[in-house]
Amino acid sequence: MKTIKSSVLVLAIASLSACGYGHKVDKTVDRGYDSKGLSQLKAGILVNPDGCDTWLIDDGVEGYWMNRLDRYGKPVCSGRAAPGTVVGEFKRGSDPI
Amino acid sequence: MGKIFSKAVSASLAGASAALLALAVSSNVASAQSTEVTAATTHKSDKYHPGVWLDPDGCEHWVMDDGVEGYGTNRLTRQGLPVCHDVNVCGVMNTDQLFATDSHRVSASGKNRLRSFFQSANAFGYTIVGHTDSRASDEYNMRLSYNRANSVAAIGNSVGARIIDVRGYGERMPVASNGSAAGMQQNRRVEILCFK
Repeated sequence: MKTIKSSVLVLAIASLSACGYGHKVDKTVDRGYDSKGLSQLKAGILVNPDGCDTWLIDDGVEGYWMNRLDRYGKPVCSGRAAPGTVVGEFKRGSDPI
Repeated sequence: MGKIFSKAVSASLAGASAALLALAVSSNVASAQSTEVTAATTHKSDKYHPGVWLDPDGCEHWVMDDGVEGYGTNRLTRQGLPVCHDVNVCGVMNTDQLFATDSHRVSASGKNRLRSFFQSANAFGYTIVGHTDSRASDEYNMRLSYNRANSVAAIGNSVGARIIDVRGYGERMPVASNGSAAGMQQNRRVEILCFK
């Protein structure tokens, strides 16, 4: 059982490397069809179950989710939308998954 | 050139198999001790230098794209405050122009100014933050700054502005030195944070 699992793992890693998903040196750029600097990410706002805003970004294969804090470090709970919903264009990746 | 390439490839393959071996060992040996954990969590071959993403409010985030995975987190100072640029501090009002000393009642001219501010600022919502200089006690200043912020918020409400939050930080968040009269005047302020 264990042997089967490991060989599946090895195969999975091998196939990923074949697709070009191996070692990546520069982690500040996206890789792929829309290779670009991460500073250009476009965020939407997801209102979390507490009613507070989070920045939501779908960059194709990668997804990002970060707190919206004001300059004093408090969560921004703007009431922009109902909890559990998203406002704004956040799916700007070349291949939304 | 070919040699360099194949060397690099074999080195990375060796690294990969070593990592797999390490995985196999740690999953089989239930009692992986702390020294092994330290060795396993330090990725010496890899450098992690995240980039900075500036959110629409002007605050910085660390972001990193590791191939298929993406990582992101708020950039904070060691005091725990977000690293922000002055993008959404859309109004800083010196309180000398709005209030008499020790009062939290807005003057008639101050009311007009605030009304026209809220009517033209065009944000989705506002957070009002009061501050004082360092004269009088901390407790008194906390109360005064909060009362003043509430007075400003009430005027925003009266013209239909959405108030997200109201706070008073007293003398605890100075923007200038309290050692001079000019510095103290800068510290006596009400900030209006605008959220789009």
